[in-house]
Amino acid sequence: MAPQPPADSRTPRDELADTTAHGALYLQRLRQRQLTLSILALVAFGALVGVLPLAIDLLPQLRRVHLLGIPVAIWLVIVPASPVFLALAVLYARRADTLDEDFRELVRRR
Amino acid sequence: MIAILAVAGVTVGTLGLGALGMRLARTTSDLLVASRAVTPWWNAAAISGEYLSAASFLGIAGLEMQNGTTALWQSVGFTAGYLALLLFVAAPLRRFGSYTIPDFAEARLRSPRLRGLASFGVLLITGFYLVPQLKGAGLTLGVVTGAPYFAGVLAVGLVVSVNVALGGMRGITYVQAFQFWLKVFAIAVPACLLLIHLGGLPARAALFGDRLPSAGPHGLVVPLSAPQPVTFPTSTSYAITPPGGGAAHQFHAVAGARVTLPAGVLRLPAGAAVPVATGTQALSGREWATPVGGSGERSPVFVYSLLLATFLGTMGLPHILVRFYTNPDGPAARRTTVRVLGLLGLFYLFPGVYGALGRVLTPQLYITGATDTVVLRLPQAAWPGTVGNVLGAVTAAGAFAAFLSTSSGLLVSISGTISHDVWPRVARESANTGAIRRRRFRIAAVLGMVAPITVAFFAHGIDIGLLVGWAFALAASTFCPLFLLGIWWPGLTASGAAVGMVAGGVVATAGIVAGLALHEPSGIAGALLAQPALVSVPIAFLAMIIVSRRSTERFVADAEMLALHAPEGLDLPDLGVRDPFVLGPRAAG
Repeated sequence: MAPQPPADSRTPRDELADTTAHGALYLQRLRQRQLTLSILALVAFGALVGVLPLAIDLLPQLRRVHLLGIPVAIWLVIVPASPVFLALAVLYARRADTLDEDFRELVRRR
Repeated sequence: MIAILAVAGVTVGTLGLGALGMRLARTTSDLLVASRAVTPWWNAAAISGEYLSAASFLGIAGLEMQNGTTALWQSVGFTAGYLALLLFVAAPLRRFGSYTIPDFAEARLRSPRLRGLASFGVLLITGFYLVPQLKGAGLTLGVVTGAPYFAGVLAVGLVVSVNVALGGMRGITYVQAFQFWLKVFAIAVPACLLLIHLGGLPARAALFGDRLPSAGPHGLVVPLSAPQPVTFPTSTSYAITPPGGGAAHQFHAVAGARVTLPAGVLRLPAGAAVPVATGTQALSGREWATPVGGSGERSPVFVYSLLLATFLGTMGLPHILVRFYTNPDGPAARRTTVRVLGLLGLFYLFPGVYGALGRVLTPQLYITGATDTVVLRLPQAAWPGTVGNVLGAVTAAGAFAAFLSTSSGLLVSISGTISHDVWPRVARESANTGAIRRRRFRIAAVLGMVAPITVAFFAHGIDIGLLVGWAFALAASTFCPLFLLGIWWPGLTASGAAVGMVAGGVVATAGIVAGLALHEPSGIAGALLAQPALVSVPIAFLAMIIVSRRSTERFVADAEMLALHAPEGLDLPDLGVRDPFVLGPRAAG
């Protein structure tokens, strides 16, 4: 929930500009949302790419089974990382921009 | 001959374009404003162009040939670094307005003394990173012209030094973007053509089976210019012809024999497993093809430590940050970083091909330990004749582009730090302050090259990939915690940041030095010494948090947080945390 606007006619933008306690609270909320989003993306990255070394280490059959003449383990190092990075990056950037936009709306309203 | 022309063409073309671009940028007033009109795609190509170094172009393939497919994790990590940058650093840092890491340290924590420490860190990391670039250049020039390694390092170090001192290349987005596409072309086209020519990967037994790298069906002839200590993995006979010609001497080596081969021409019979340079290990196809599993540099601990170092280290590389300044605002910085991820992913599909083909087609590199040159030597070996020569020229040109762009960026960081932070300050606002600064920058551009060249002389035997891994470990253990905590935690204090950076830096350096001194001991300890990030990064973070919480110098960082996180378009007044940027040598040089 957005903090209650103060009684006088000051806008949230004024609070931010004067770095008042109110302004700091608005900003803290945005910062925490952005950080949550980033950590979420980080967790997704860990789950999709970060587990690959462990999986290859623990599942020797990945090294024995060949796909197009190359062990699956090697395919797993070369191929999945880039598309996963790109997909995560696109999703994250879109969401982060939206959070910024929401904040702008909140701050601008009278 | 074609290769010499290609390398010369890339060098002259880069320097020429850079000089021309500088002149245009100077006459059209503001270099910075001009470059801010650049679209995210151009910007992303420029960032990738500066980032793809000798480590990416030569090092990954070389380390892959040497240590096996475990080296391919490097390319995952090098790309992942930009994901970390995107998630935690890109937009806030762009908004904050610092051009260099020392600027950020001083402005965020209101501590001029922290600036000094950060400057020292910048010099250390850029130095570490510059050495493998010089090594790559020395190797490339050696392969292309036959010049000795030392001469190559010295010549190329001087070229870059003079180029930076005269103000070429830096800040010219289009040159860097052009270099990126040149590098993609130079790594991808020969790789694809060679694979088509050979009809896929040859000799799968040597790649994925039980075979060791061995001489082909017609034997192997290797000229040795200097005595070479080697280990024979299996027993075999061999012959050596003395350098001046004359009768060949026949020898026999038993399995595991350590021999110093004299200079001359070595002949191995068909199918014999090649001896490997002492200090390296002969790997069977199965070991070679295992990306993770086993001990040492194939152990999961090493792989994760390497991934952590590259994931977190990229944001701490001093020459990366300033590039984000060509973005107009935070969201544009995000868009650019997303594109960088795509472009890097494209490039890193290809280096692995060279390491795999090299294992089969250029096994003589195992004897001399020069696996770092596999990208340069493979085309001629795989496709003898004109086509091979042309493709070899293409990879040599790409390697040179990689080396030139990265080392110029690094040297600009070094010179900027020396002339701006280390040198006593110029008395304020005298009439010729600008001229003094420019002169200092030029002197620093020459002086800053001396130490890396000296170290590169001695680093001849160390793999490019390892050297770069250390630079990333250092960056991840010092500047990464500074950025992450400085941007997201208002409670960070100057003393906390200082203690954390020193702790992380010392632990990482100690690990690397100990690993070298103990000749890379085996087991988990050995893996962590060779790649200390898994230990040093948490230590740095913990030290920063604990010391910050205990320190009494608390200040309210509201203004700094506002500058970092407030979205654009709110018409907020400038709160004075932004370091006023003078268009001095650091941007213009």
